[in-house]
Amino acid sequence: MSEKAASPLLLLHPTRGLIDEKFSVMVQNLPQIQDITLHALIHSDDGDYWEAFGHYVSDATGLVNVANDSSLGGTYDGVEPMGLLWSMRPVPGSRIGLRLRKKEVHTPMVVHISVYRGHMSQGFREQAALASVVTERWYMAPGVRRVDITEGGVTGTLFLPPGPGPFPALLDLWGGGGGLVEYRSALLASHGFVSLALEYMTPRTSGGSTSHVGNKYFEAAFTILKQHPQVCGDRIAILGLSFGTSVALGMAVYSTVIQPRCLVCVSGSHVQQVKGSLSDVFSEINKNVRNTRYDEENRVIWRDLLLPIPTDPTKKVDVGQMKCPVLMIVGEDDQNWPATESAEDMKQMMERAGNSHLLTTLSYPGAGHLIEPPYSPHIRASNFMVAGTRQKLVVLWGGETAPHSHAQEDSWKKTLAFLEEHLYRSTEVTSPSNL
Amino acid sequence: MLRARMCVSALCHRSGTFVLRWVNICRKIACVQSAVGPVRWKTYCSPAPFLTATPTRALIDEPITLEGHHLPPHSPITVRAYMHNEDGDLWEALSHYNTDEMGVVNMTTDESVGGSYVGCEPMGLFWALQPAPGEREGLRLRKKNVETPYSVQLSLLEGHIPVPPSEGSNKEQWQRGEQELAAVTVERWYMAPGVRRIEIRQNGVVGTLFLPPGPGPFPAMVDLWGMGGGLIEYRSALFASRGFASLSLAYFGHKDIPGPLNTINVGDAYFKAAFQFLQDHPQVCGDRLGIIGLSFGVYLALRIATQIGVNPRCVIGVNGPIGSFNKLSDSDGQTESFEGDQKHWSYDEQGYVSFREVSMPNNIPPENKAKVENLCCPLLYIVGEDDLSCAAIENADEIEKKLKDAGRSHLFTRLSYLGAGHLIEPPYTPNARSSMWTTRPKKLITLWGGHLAPHAAAQEDAWKRTLEFMERHLRG
Repeated sequence: MSEKAASPLLLLHPTRGLIDEKFSVMVQNLPQIQDITLHALIHSDDGDYWEAFGHYVSDATGLVNVANDSSLGGTYDGVEPMGLLWSMRPVPGSRIGLRLRKKEVHTPMVVHISVYRGHMSQGFREQAALASVVTERWYMAPGVRRVDITEGGVTGTLFLPPGPGPFPALLDLWGGGGGLVEYRSALLASHGFVSLALEYMTPRTSGGSTSHVGNKYFEAAFTILKQHPQVCGDRIAILGLSFGTSVALGMAVYSTVIQPRCLVCVSGSHVQQVKGSLSDVFSEINKNVRNTRYDEENRVIWRDLLLPIPTDPTKKVDVGQMKCPVLMIVGEDDQNWPATESAEDMKQMMERAGNSHLLTTLSYPGAGHLIEPPYSPHIRASNFMVAGTRQKLVVLWGGETAPHSHAQEDSWKKTLAFLEEHLYRSTEVTSPSNL
Repeated sequence: MLRARMCVSALCHRSGTFVLRWVNICRKIACVQSAVGPVRWKTYCSPAPFLTATPTRALIDEPITLEGHHLPPHSPITVRAYMHNEDGDLWEALSHYNTDEMGVVNMTTDESVGGSYVGCEPMGLFWALQPAPGEREGLRLRKKNVETPYSVQLSLLEGHIPVPPSEGSNKEQWQRGEQELAAVTVERWYMAPGVRRIEIRQNGVVGTLFLPPGPGPFPAMVDLWGMGGGLIEYRSALFASRGFASLSLAYFGHKDIPGPLNTINVGDAYFKAAFQFLQDHPQVCGDRLGIIGLSFGVYLALRIATQIGVNPRCVIGVNGPIGSFNKLSDSDGQTESFEGDQKHWSYDEQGYVSFREVSMPNNIPPENKAKVENLCCPLLYIVGEDDLSCAAIENADEIEKKLKDAGRSHLFTRLSYLGAGHLIEPPYTPNARSSMWTTRPKKLITLWGGHLAPHAAAQEDAWKRTLEFMERHLRG
């Protein structure tokens, strides 16, 4: 009978968690001072493979602990407990311009974590692992309900936490990529907020053309939330990314229907025709299309299309009239929108108007445009289809992987704390009574 | 409008439970609002209290922390757990707490002052689950399909809601749902992601193999249950989730084993084939095998370990006999039916049967006892002192004595639990003090013993010690 030694033990906890939860990864029973590689692999819903890896050396007891030990190289280095997730990239040979986004939120992202002998950077498929485990990363907590919204001309998906409520709510707005992106709303519902992911940048929602998305559409969406029996009508926030920020800022200041309790604005700008609509933002951008630049790999840089920040007050949202707290999140390496410059200009406008106490700006060096919930892989550029013309490009979003990923982790934590503060704990009513 | 607002305020001041009444009123106002259209009046809406569970997806043996927030301070609340088992029966548990000065309750640190359990019991809502009033009698909570989780709903309710009486109450009288303040759902899994479940029907062996994720090779267990028969998978699934390959082995009352369902039709050759199958498996460390048995499975485990020429590294026995009342055939002939000779069956005042006397060492013919004196590996023997199905204490004493006489005391470790019954299983699952044994030719309920709270404590401790024992002897 051959003596087979028990293999090294790869311990990961928790094996089922939410997408924004940390995990611990440890390897035990290794020979001491042994080079090993920890490898993570995802097979996405689109059929692509994403991977990350870190190089470690076991200590004198044969242990590697990712929470404490330094990765000496790979797709991330240093002490990075979650590096195996956020540093993932498409495996060699993959299609170009990929972005890892979960469309089906009822199922988890399944990640295979393996440990290999030696310091490897390729050939993982051909090599036998010493040990491997599987972890599920979920956008939806059990009991969260998903409801299709098609009433009043509004297209979206509503996510509700379990229980009777009532709950505070969010209007969740993505950007120029269009479509109906659900995962952030699913996650927000898992944290106790009703969240409406709104589709608004597709021909279906804007009468055949994206440039006709009117303000009434957003007001109708906000009203759906306000009138929902499980929502606290006076505790609704707007979370916008990119174009979603334009909507959030413009409607919060100028709409009589939309009275949010607070705003979270990510990677966006206040530059738009005053009391205009989204189509006006598009017009402005199109006027400056000659400002499009390209990097050395011919990827599109659009940040200059709204620069310079106008001094003409009719060309930007009068944030001096803002009545609710605003959390601005910007990446200093955003190559898609001039978010840093806009945030700076907004601060000056609000200081002049005397309401700058409402503004909190989180500015992250090395972070790019796509600041999303944490631990999803950072990509510096990806394929993009222009809504309307359906033109296909590769757009540069910016950001360096490590600082961008730290920015996602920090900004999400602060976003949840901001929402908890203003939507759950706050007793102050900021909108005037209509009685 | 103003008059309406004052009216509402007056109501609230009178009630005393300001926030909670307010929530209900706000909900009603919101309903009116949607019914009549965009009425422009203000609703000062307080969000509902919050009930959180950490984690929301856990393995069965993982503790879950439950907390309530944004509740009124120093107020009585009830936490209710309810779930449906796979047959659709409703199980529930309730516990009574008082919130602190911050309006917070934490079930991991606070004490329950009434309900299904009292005292500080972080997992009480799970191990105290009982069939709801009006459900079928003689139920026992056991998961058949281990590839799906139990989904448990947890609710926060206002006040101290009494536990429903176990008999004679009308289900419709229960006003559930109306006073629910908050809710959360948790999933409890027997299988970790990546664990593989493989049905085994080869070399005559009938079982289910669970393998941890990864290439292995892994230490492994042979997992044996009792005379309930069939193929019970959940303990093996959990072992694999903890890094041990595990073969749940059927030997009685299974349709894929040839012969009558009410007799044991397999003998030493069968168990040897099973052990060998595991040993030879490419993802198993052939020299790192253990055996666990519960009830009659203990006798089988001891027999396998001492008489059929295999070398396990350790044996774990839970509440089982040193020998068999009915002779286990060496030549794969059939044994007598377990129900053939009932002279040692005893009955309580309700007509529930206890099999305890059947396994009294004095009632077991000496030639039917396992040759424990030949045991070469450590044995962990777990005793429920209130076991009404097996004479566990007496058998433990006999095994201990035989080992001592053979100069092998160092192999024997006993864990003995006051108030625990026969069915010492993975933790945080409810004990069944009795359950339906058979319905043919007539309904017969059998006694297992054990009281809810001490049995739960025993399961928690015994499971921890079992895994430690396996780590030490199979991986060390």
